Amino acid sequence: MLLPTTVVGSYSVPEWLERLKTDFYQRRISAQHLKEIHEVAIKAALKDQELAGLDIVSDGELRRDNDIDYLLARIPGVDIPHRAKTDYYDYYDAQVTRPLPAAGNAGPGLAEDFAFTRAQTTKPIKFSFTGPFSLSRRIRDSAYADPAELVGALARWLNGQAAELAAAGAELLQIDEPFLAGYPEAAELAIAAVNTVTEGVETSWALHVCYGNRYARPLWEGHYDFLFPAVLSARVDQLVLEFARKGPEDLRLFGQYPWERDVGLGVIDVKSGEVESEAAVADRIRRGLEFVPADRLTINPDCGLRHLPTDVARAKLRALVAGAQIVRAELSAG
Amino acid sequence: MQIDVRPVARLRGPNPLDVPAVLGPLFEALGVTSVDLTRLKVVCDWIQYRSNFAEPVRCRPVLADRPARDDSEHAGTDPGAEPRDAPAPAVSSLELALDLRRCADLDLATSVKQALTEHSEPGGPGRTYLEPWGPASKSCIWRFNTLYWQALASWEQVTGREYEQALPGGRSDARNADTARELIGELLAVWDSLEARSALPDQLYVVELGVGNGSQAKTWLDTFVQLDRIHGRDYYRRLHYLMGDYSGHVLERAWQQVAHHGEHVSALVLDASRPQRTLGFLKDKAFCVYISNMYDNLPTDEIASIGGRPYLVEARAYLRDDDAARIARKLRIPKARLVTIVDRLLRLGPELLAETAPDQFPDAGKAVSLWRDVWAALYLQERYAPLDGLDAYQVAPTLTGEILRPLLENAGDVRMHVSNGALSSFTQTLPLLHPFGRLICHDLFMTSPVAYHAGFYGPGKYDGSILNWVNGPLLKLAGNRRGFDVAITPFSGRPDANVRTLVAQVRD
Repeated sequence: MLLPTTVVGSYSVPEWLERLKTDFYQRRISAQHLKEIHEVAIKAALKDQELAGLDIVSDGELRRDNDIDYLLARIPGVDIPHRAKTDYYDYYDAQVTRPLPAAGNAGPGLAEDFAFTRAQTTKPIKFSFTGPFSLSRRIRDSAYADPAELVGALARWLNGQAAELAAAGAELLQIDEPFLAGYPEAAELAIAAVNTVTEGVETSWALHVCYGNRYARPLWEGHYDFLFPAVLSARVDQLVLEFARKGPEDLRLFGQYPWERDVGLGVIDVKSGEVESEAAVADRIRRGLEFVPADRLTINPDCGLRHLPTDVARAKLRALVAGAQIVRAELSAG
Repeated sequence: MQIDVRPVARLRGPNPLDVPAVLGPLFEALGVTSVDLTRLKVVCDWIQYRSNFAEPVRCRPVLADRPARDDSEHAGTDPGAEPRDAPAPAVSSLELALDLRRCADLDLATSVKQALTEHSEPGGPGRTYLEPWGPASKSCIWRFNTLYWQALASWEQVTGREYEQALPGGRSDARNADTARELIGELLAVWDSLEARSALPDQLYVVELGVGNGSQAKTWLDTFVQLDRIHGRDYYRRLHYLMGDYSGHVLERAWQQVAHHGEHVSALVLDASRPQRTLGFLKDKAFCVYISNMYDNLPTDEIASIGGRPYLVEARAYLRDDDAARIARKLRIPKARLVTIVDRLLRLGPELLAETAPDQFPDAGKAVSLWRDVWAALYLQERYAPLDGLDAYQVAPTLTGEILRPLLENAGDVRMHVSNGALSSFTQTLPLLHPFGRLICHDLFMTSPVAYHAGFYGPGKYDGSILNWVNGPLLKLAGNRRGFDVAITPFSGRPDANVRTLVAQVRD
């Protein structure tokens, strides 16, 4: 199918769910209750995406407290002395005082999350997780002389998770690097680590780089130039970037550099509560087509939808799907 | 029966408060009433504002259920009327509030009896109500406050002094060249680093909300020109300084101070509680937003936790009947017409009121006199209305009462400001900040919810405006939930002053 539609990863987290998550971190409800709550919320999120008409869905990352800690808490050797949180979305103070163990996982990993989602829908699933560079930026490291070594160790752990996900049936995995734009000089290091994560894992791979979406705010500003040419050596099949909020200017990079793989085109501004019209979405797709052929374009929001109210998230996804349908019809009409 | 003595700091020192001297007569007075003492709480405050909205003794019922409300009943009728046939709401307990500052000069027994009588006979004589019950932020006292800023020139003409002279020390806190120099130095460094990455926007925006007499803007801009010249990158060419205020009169006066900066300065009249309506175009663009003494003057509700349940403080403005009669006599109108005339004053302002009713008001000055008389005599009656749930209470346009939960749950039974206007303004200003931007605000900030157990923090009357301390922990929480680090520290210009400095910037 031309112009398949999907999400970047996270889905709207309603206020009541935020409160229950915080209750868990303050020991007011049990892990078992929270797990059951998450499962119900994930089923609802999948239903919302299916009803919106998305071609590829996700679990909305609804189990995760945030993009970083859900993973750090599972990595052997990452020390998190205080696990209570005033608010579930706050970041842990994580540290590494000794080199991470070479292999091994701590308890249930990401594959179990994927398996639950797989059992709830017949649609293709995108499963995303934060990449090694961004994870490393939230760890106080006194173990490694060179910060690149920590990034490498995290990449190897993620590679193990990816292999388990593939074994559980995952067909599309996405690495998110939300902090990379703030450290443009680290692009080569981050891309090398991405290649470690994808090494030997035979799924389709996407790499998502944005300007941050924590609390629906950009963390950085600038242009995607810093990714090139380093990203050309990334062993991924798709580059997922934001263009709705920032505008189409950086699409020129696909004309300047020989990126001959797929592009996930951000056409929904996730930092604005204003719902785009389907015509606006179609316009953004048409601009993308000026630089990337239709058979290499996937249509998605700029980033995760987690900070949007649920009704707004639903409406934005409907606009995304409708906008893609308009352009698809134009393409088939020739 | 519970007794809550709040001004604990005044219980020690060379001239400690003599609380027993107040409580003795109070117990005597209560002993001869039929009030259920097991469901009574006595709250002793020290209301530091010489001019305020509280009678020295007040009854505040705690309602058992949320009262029914039908606003359509009030359209076009007496603004002080309650809905027709409204049943008296059931009361689960009662709070008797005393202002210890004024109790010493009072026949307490008589005042307590009067307050209890007026509570048990709400329709009885004694008060002229200007409005029905409602959240405190919707009370007409805020219409008076708005009028003050809109018609400040008329007010100042009658009083013969500018509003800055009404501030403590006769001046605003915003004119410190050293602070400006430090801030500008940091800004220049940020701009250099962004320029090095080709990420510096063409237009460099600095915003000031609540501009006072323009001194801050003048100090800042003049200092900027000096430092930029030394720095040598000519950022001044790209600089836009936007001044926003809800008073056109204040803005005009401030403009005169910075007129020599020409097209680098713009002045915008804006709704301080909703800055995005005017400044939405600045989303993610402002490198510095400077706010001085504005939040303490924006509408606020108060919320209380009583027995672990959340209650909204509802208020109702009134005049004592003898005050209403005195003011009406001065105008030569029947007392019954006074409420309608006050409502017209608030809708039209003094100048238009004088034009439309020249018999009563031969000039605007006479209308200002009415305004000042009513303002001086204005009181608030209060009651506690239970909330169905914190999420059902809208704190600000995009914020429900859930934001209050951490503060309410950790402070025991407490009554605190919601600072709705400040919170709305703050949360609508944060999105204007560039990722490397900063919001700096000088104001009367509370720093801990626990402080509400130990003092009175408003409302008070300040000249013709209202003053409330701002719930700093709540703003901090709201900022944190939006990814900002928020710090509240003593004001460097006057470390011993009540004014504190709030700084918000994106958390890394």
